[in-house]
Amino acid sequence: MVKSSLVRQALVLAALAFVPGLVQAIYFGDKVSWRSPVPASEMVTVTQARAWGENAIWVDARPDNEFARDHVPGALPLNEDRWNELLAQFLAAWSPEKKVVIYCGSEGCNASREVARRLRKEAQLPNVFVLEGGWEEWLKTNR
Amino acid sequence: MAQSSTISYQLLANRQFVWRIVDFIVGGIFIYAGTIKVIDPVQFAIDIDNYKILPWTISVGLAFYLPWLEILCGLALILRRLYFGGLSILTALVAVFLVATIAAKVRGLDITCGCFGHASKSLSFAGHLALDFALLAALIVLWSKAPVRNHAANEL
Repeated sequence: MVKSSLVRQALVLAALAFVPGLVQAIYFGDKVSWRSPVPASEMVTVTQARAWGENAIWVDARPDNEFARDHVPGALPLNEDRWNELLAQFLAAWSPEKKVVIYCGSEGCNASREVARRLRKEAQLPNVFVLEGGWEEWLKTNR
Repeated sequence: MAQSSTISYQLLANRQFVWRIVDFIVGGIFIYAGTIKVIDPVQFAIDIDNYKILPWTISVGLAFYLPWLEILCGLALILRRLYFGGLSILTALVAVFLVATIAAKVRGLDITCGCFGHASKSLSFAGHLALDFALLAALIVLWSKAPVRNHAANEL
């Protein structure tokens, strides 16, 4: 088996895969942001969220022990570990005119994005936002 | 003499038939894995991003590209066209994926998705590792058993 033949075959396959990948990327152009995992329209800063006042319902997507230690005043816990149980509690407090602001530990954590995705997809809720910078940003702004 | 060579040929043909079945199974697994990720590339981009190795933009690019590469390589195994190219790419992909998964675990990241994207969410970390090692082992075995002098496998 000649090495150059193996490399040539691999390159051909790698090149062929570009075609459907590119077509799909174009097709999905408006469904995914290439700059951020969460589209800008679904992100909110601490300042913006606080300006919503009573119209905002804060959701803490961190594990239970972190929520118990400290959280945004009035925030409701909603994490994937106890999704069904906490979702019922959250929905009891939610109303259609409220804006949902979800946060987790920091900018890099994924929990808030995942909770936001599930609320939009499974609970079909509108006005669901992810807090930019998460709990760390809240602490910085409120010290 | 003629009878023993006939028997030897039959044994060889049977063994090659067995390895062809392995080609189909392994190729089929990668076609299935690739198809699941093609259906929801946004979720796959998030899964790649969860490893916290690559910037988001690269994760999105790979989410659109890698599933198709998996499918084509799986087809290469089944159709015996560009066979060794497909085998080398799949082996490299699984090896890289294994290293990334172990590294993520060591870093304390909660990686719940494996080769099959979010479809394998229910598998434990040990389950993911076992599946990935099994795939890698199957690919390595195909390397060792593939007919080197098979012209169809080597042709473009």
